[in-house]
Amino acid sequence: MATTTLPRAAGYTRSWVYEWLTTTDHKKIGIMYVTTAYIFMLLGGLLALGIRTDLWTATSATGASLIPAALYNQLFTMHGTTMIFFFVMPMLAGFANYIVPLQIGAADMAFPRINALSFWIIPFSGILLFSGFLLGGAASAGWTSYAPLAEAKYSPGVGQDLWILGLLLNGMSSILGAINLLVTIFKLRAPGLTMLRLPIFVWTVLVTQVLLVFAVPVLASGLAMLFIDRNYGGSFFDPAAGGDAVLWQHVFWFFGHPEVYILILPAFGVISEVIPVFSGKPLFGYKAFILATAAIGILGFGVWAHHMFATGVVFLAFFSATTFLISVPTGVKMFNWVATMWRGKLNFKTPMLFAVGFLVSFLIGGLDGAFSASTPVDFDITDTYWVVSHLHYVLFGGSAMAIMAATYYWFPKMSGRMLNERLGQVHFWLMFIGLQLTFFPMHLLGLAGMPRRIAEYAPTAWQPLNQVATIGAFTIAASMLPFLWNIFTTLRHPADQPNDPWNAYTLEWATTSPPPPNNFEHLPEVHSERPLFDLKYGPHGGAPVAASAAASSGGQA
Amino acid sequence: MFRARRAPFRLLLALSATVLVLAGCAQASYDNPVPQAVPIRAVTETGVMANELYLFVLAIATLIFLLVEGLIIFAVFRYRRRKGDDGLPVQTHGNLYFELGWTIVPFLIVIVLFVLSYQVQTKVDARSANPGLTVDVTGFQWQWTFDYKDQGLSFTGQGKTGPELVLPTDTVVHFRLHASDVIHSFYVPAFFFKRDVIPGITNQFDITITNPGTYTGQCAELCGIGHADMRFTVRALAPADFTAWIAQAQEAAKSTPSPPPSGAPVITESAASAAAFDKKTLEAPANTPFVIAFSNTSPPGVPHNIAIQNPAGGDMLFNGQPLAQPGETVNYTVPALPPGTYTFICIVHPTTMTGTLTVK
Amino acid sequence: MAVVTEQQGLRGHPHSQVRRTTDTALLGMLLFIASEVMFFAGLFAAYFTFAGQVKPWPPEGFELEAVPLPLILTIILVTSSFTMQYATMQIRRGNRTGMNRALAVTLLLGAIFLAGQLYDYANLPFGINSGIYGSLFFTMTGFHGAHVFGGAIGLAVVLSRGASGQFSAQHHTAVEAVHYYWHFVDIVWIFLFGTLYLLPLLK
Repeated sequence: MATTTLPRAAGYTRSWVYEWLTTTDHKKIGIMYVTTAYIFMLLGGLLALGIRTDLWTATSATGASLIPAALYNQLFTMHGTTMIFFFVMPMLAGFANYIVPLQIGAADMAFPRINALSFWIIPFSGILLFSGFLLGGAASAGWTSYAPLAEAKYSPGVGQDLWILGLLLNGMSSILGAINLLVTIFKLRAPGLTMLRLPIFVWTVLVTQVLLVFAVPVLASGLAMLFIDRNYGGSFFDPAAGGDAVLWQHVFWFFGHPEVYILILPAFGVISEVIPVFSGKPLFGYKAFILATAAIGILGFGVWAHHMFATGVVFLAFFSATTFLISVPTGVKMFNWVATMWRGKLNFKTPMLFAVGFLVSFLIGGLDGAFSASTPVDFDITDTYWVVSHLHYVLFGGSAMAIMAATYYWFPKMSGRMLNERLGQVHFWLMFIGLQLTFFPMHLLGLAGMPRRIAEYAPTAWQPLNQVATIGAFTIAASMLPFLWNIFTTLRHPADQPNDPWNAYTLEWATTSPPPPNNFEHLPEVHSERPLFDLKYGPHGGAPVAASAAASSGGQA
Repeated sequence: MFRARRAPFRLLLALSATVLVLAGCAQASYDNPVPQAVPIRAVTETGVMANELYLFVLAIATLIFLLVEGLIIFAVFRYRRRKGDDGLPVQTHGNLYFELGWTIVPFLIVIVLFVLSYQVQTKVDARSANPGLTVDVTGFQWQWTFDYKDQGLSFTGQGKTGPELVLPTDTVVHFRLHASDVIHSFYVPAFFFKRDVIPGITNQFDITITNPGTYTGQCAELCGIGHADMRFTVRALAPADFTAWIAQAQEAAKSTPSPPPSGAPVITESAASAAAFDKKTLEAPANTPFVIAFSNTSPPGVPHNIAIQNPAGGDMLFNGQPLAQPGETVNYTVPALPPGTYTFICIVHPTTMTGTLTVK
Repeated sequence: MAVVTEQQGLRGHPHSQVRRTTDTALLGMLLFIASEVMFFAGLFAAYFTFAGQVKPWPPEGFELEAVPLPLILTIILVTSSFTMQYATMQIRRGNRTGMNRALAVTLLLGAIFLAGQLYDYANLPFGINSGIYGSLFFTMTGFHGAHVFGGAIGLAVVLSRGASGQFSAQHHTAVEAVHYYWHFVDIVWIFLFGTLYLLPLLK
């Protein structure tokens, strides 16, 4: 039995329900985050299928869209909100929660009880948001909730207020989690683990948490002002009452742009763990990667108005310049990953499949961004399906693919069981192909003039591409079936996997699968960013540091 | 470690040269508004420039895409772990020259792209001191109004097709955008351009159309449940034809609606917003003309009317003209209807403002 | 090393460097304060947006009187920062009694500030629904007041713990944390007072 269980005091029984409900163990909390996030992903996915089904045909003969606009607007609003705040963010928080303490050789997070609180806010706030559907209609002003549309006058009903309150709570969870992770990383590292020996995943999580601390409260201030407008006669954002509609956009996007880096940086971190391990080499350009991550974090606060070029009231040249600039550190990372694979010995297990799928797809999404950075081009493509294509390439082709990679990569560590490779491959190919089918045609639809957030469209010429996209969406949905089947069946196997099934480099693989409650019985010495690699092979692939230590930690490929 | 240390430098040189050459080519065409051989769909002077800029960015993006995807695909096949090979590959940690190279070259590329974008941007936002025509566009939930104030003309759209914006080619047309309620966006794909219509702000821009034709336009900022159907058409005419059209339109605007016949039964209706009529059901006598005295009590910029449809086939039996502007009461004389149940709608807001008319 | 149970978490951790408990919790508080600063930054950004584009500013009928009440409240809150600092210095020297007294005074001053703020609210001729100025004034000072209230709860907690004999020169993390938070609340007020009451006088 690979796990270490502690003896219970005699006569002391505890149900597993109580245990999970009251746990402050980062590993259990991490698993709960990941599981909850997957549930919300499925909900958000169902909403997406609703959207894509509605867009199968152009305006029907009776002149009515399949799904009435009043409901359709709720579908895309809740789809975006769910995927961002209840799928990607909690998912990445969950992996960070589970893995970061392990990777830094700590026994838990700095504030375990606040950690539990941060998690439990998520399902609660999600229920709050979704309850809108049952209470007269969920929020329907887009995930961006522009004023004055989001004001009480134009969006009456409690759905929008539930959206505001739910996001305020969700934001609280993010901020508390960010504080927790930052203090953990700064204060609880193992001896010898200097900042420049941190695994890249920890670095990307670190920068992400800094972004959260500085960006999410600004969203909170905007949400508070909107709530006051809607419920207490405030005048912040309604010009008819003396307010400023564009102010909402500034406040929202000041949060909203760092938010997209919050959604992608930990994904970059995951890819930076997986590709080196499955290439048999270290990450190419570790220090440059850290610099690039920090650069993205800082620059990310200086580009927000590129979402507002079409308003005609922002400083176009400045924001265009910063937006172009931020593509440079992002490009550096792409090259680092490819260079890591170069002259490696590539092992295409499922995590690596998703990592390569990430590279291929994120490249497209990133290049898309260059078009939007060019203001005259943006005047045409903004608010069209081009942007929908771009955002899904980076968030689905980027974040979601990386999340799948993380899931397959760390599942053995978290559960002591290996997911089935064959099913993993089916999942990957269906998802990858589905992603291309769904989102590539949207470039063309945007260029053809199809705006976003429309419940129906008139030109029948747009129908074929929309139908391809719908088929793609259902393909993605289908891909989740082998995945879920894989999880359910694998969990029935005995938890007997070794410490290090992937022949990996970082400390989480130097302990049992799953780890004992205090994470480590023995902690290897840390002399580089690849402590386990050094233990097995010696620094730079020379003589192993301690052959007996390598044997006792029990992991070979 | 690498066979030829000079290889990275040569690569850098070649890349920079390519980018500069491409930039030079693109530059040469920006001052020339005539559409090029490549597919250009823009029909305005600045639209063509932006369209060309797009194609240039596309060319660069495609090159980078092919390069990087090519490297990925090559690596995937070439560096696959061979069966039985359990050894470690060379543990390369980095290479300063490559890293500097792939930082500096993209940096140079984006500088070029920024400068080119900025140049086109300046042309797009340029204003003429002497526009040939000024049009005021008002966007409201969920329709458009086009006002030619100098010519005394105003057109508000109906239903999903919306109004027609007739414009002259080869003339600087100055636009002023006004929003009555929420943010909308004035978007004409053929102009390669959109600008938000924001309450409290009057956005202005100039457009010079080069090609006569008919082009669709649509609202491009989510504005509520009617957002998908907030469309309009642009019809661009040669200047002489445009002048003729103006004269025609001014003539047509002079005719006035006939007064109601005395003694006809009058029923009342009103509407305080675009969300619904105040009364959902109306009753009228059969087989005799009747008058609907319709009061528009909605906020400014939100016109309505009453139109009567056959509920079965949806064909329009009566479409009240003119539209009632906010603050107005218009008397619509409806011709005699046989007994039955009919649907009445507001032609401007057909999805939200509906009701049942019982004729007996 | 003793057997570690889940509930113990870090305290029995055998491997990491000696856990400098004070620094860890304080770093957490500082980061929390940073996030709160950003929250107020959003509100100030809204204020300056309108102050920059609405003429006149403040609008007619919304001129605020810095004296006497707001100035008195400012003096009270600033004084409470001094008493809070004194309380912290006392416990750093091991003087729990001195700390308790100073904490009580700080809490009292904080309560007076809140009461004065409510009194001011009641006597203002405009409300949160009185256009943009009313919205801004009440939102900014209202959220500040809420934070003062939160700080007061923190003060009450450490005061009651101090009164029951907890805290020593070596272990008084909670006091340090509360004192950081209290200074933050005071500094935000200084910015609010300067922006809302003093800046308009510069015309």
